[in-house]
Amino acid sequence: MTRTAPTFLAGLGASLPIVMGYVPIAFSFGVAASRAGFSTLEAFALSLIIYAGASQFLALALLASGAPVLVSAFTLIAMNLRHVLYGPALLREAGPEAATRHAWAWAFGLTDEVFGQALGALARGQRFSEPYMFGLGLGAYAAWVGGTVAGAVAGGSALEGWPALSAGLGFMLPALFLALLLSILSRRQVPVVTVAGGVTVVATLTLGATSGILLGMLAGALTGLLRR
Amino acid sequence: MNQDLLILALLAGAANWLFRALPVLLRTDRLAMGGWLERFLSATGPAAIGTLFVAAILPALTPDLLRLAPTVLGAAAVLLAWLATRSVVLATLAGAVAHGGLVWLLA
Repeated sequence: MTRTAPTFLAGLGASLPIVMGYVPIAFSFGVAASRAGFSTLEAFALSLIIYAGASQFLALALLASGAPVLVSAFTLIAMNLRHVLYGPALLREAGPEAATRHAWAWAFGLTDEVFGQALGALARGQRFSEPYMFGLGLGAYAAWVGGTVAGAVAGGSALEGWPALSAGLGFMLPALFLALLLSILSRRQVPVVTVAGGVTVVATLTLGATSGILLGMLAGALTGLLRR
Repeated sequence: MNQDLLILALLAGAANWLFRALPVLLRTDRLAMGGWLERFLSATGPAAIGTLFVAAILPALTPDLLRLAPTVLGAAAVLLAWLATRSVVLATLAGAVAHGGLVWLLA
């Protein structure tokens, strides 16, 4: 049986939960940028060029504090090192025949959430296709950049009058990660996920959030080496 | 445009592109078939998603049960909606609605 390759539109549709998660976070990034004294164009440039949530918030803090540019850049780069593993992990699931001709363009969109959604789809038996990756990535990217501009334009306290809405939107990303976790979870993966989660908690509490994520991921992946 | 901001964005953005695209373009996964690297890579996805979930939920954990309740209810809603529908979209939405709904009720 040959499964049909998912289309660009299917990818765009699959980006919906990411879009709903990104818009409020990007919006709050835009608000934070305008509060830190940056223009809408500057907030837009950060989201368009860097396109990595947590490190953009850090970039605001570093720029506002007047830290040296090269030191700041090194910090941001170290924060995103984990992304090195996403492409190979995705292609390993996609199989050796997966086309990567246009990866120079779509792979820039491999954020945590896009990677998770794409991996989840493959785990559920979907075929890998580049148009799908473009659709998935473009939906998320547009939401991130659009949300940033909206936040920078709105500025100040746009969501403060709506605490429940703000709370629900804020829970969108944890909910998405939990749903993705459930979608890829199998008995074989339980030790990997348990070790990753445990190390994340300990390392976050002792060393900080960025180290927590990096060490948790590494410990979980290393646990995978122990199984047969 | 602030020049430091532009330089910082370009350096971090270029590194992000290299991190995300280069391993795909070089097909590093093909070098890994059957070996320890393949086992490492196949565990990377689940490890990453588990880590990101824990990192996202950790700041919401508090001994104050009333403030913790929306997070617990939201997570339970995700689990139930996933079991009922096997849809990532619906499960995510159910979690956000349950979480925001309880915050609204408690306010």
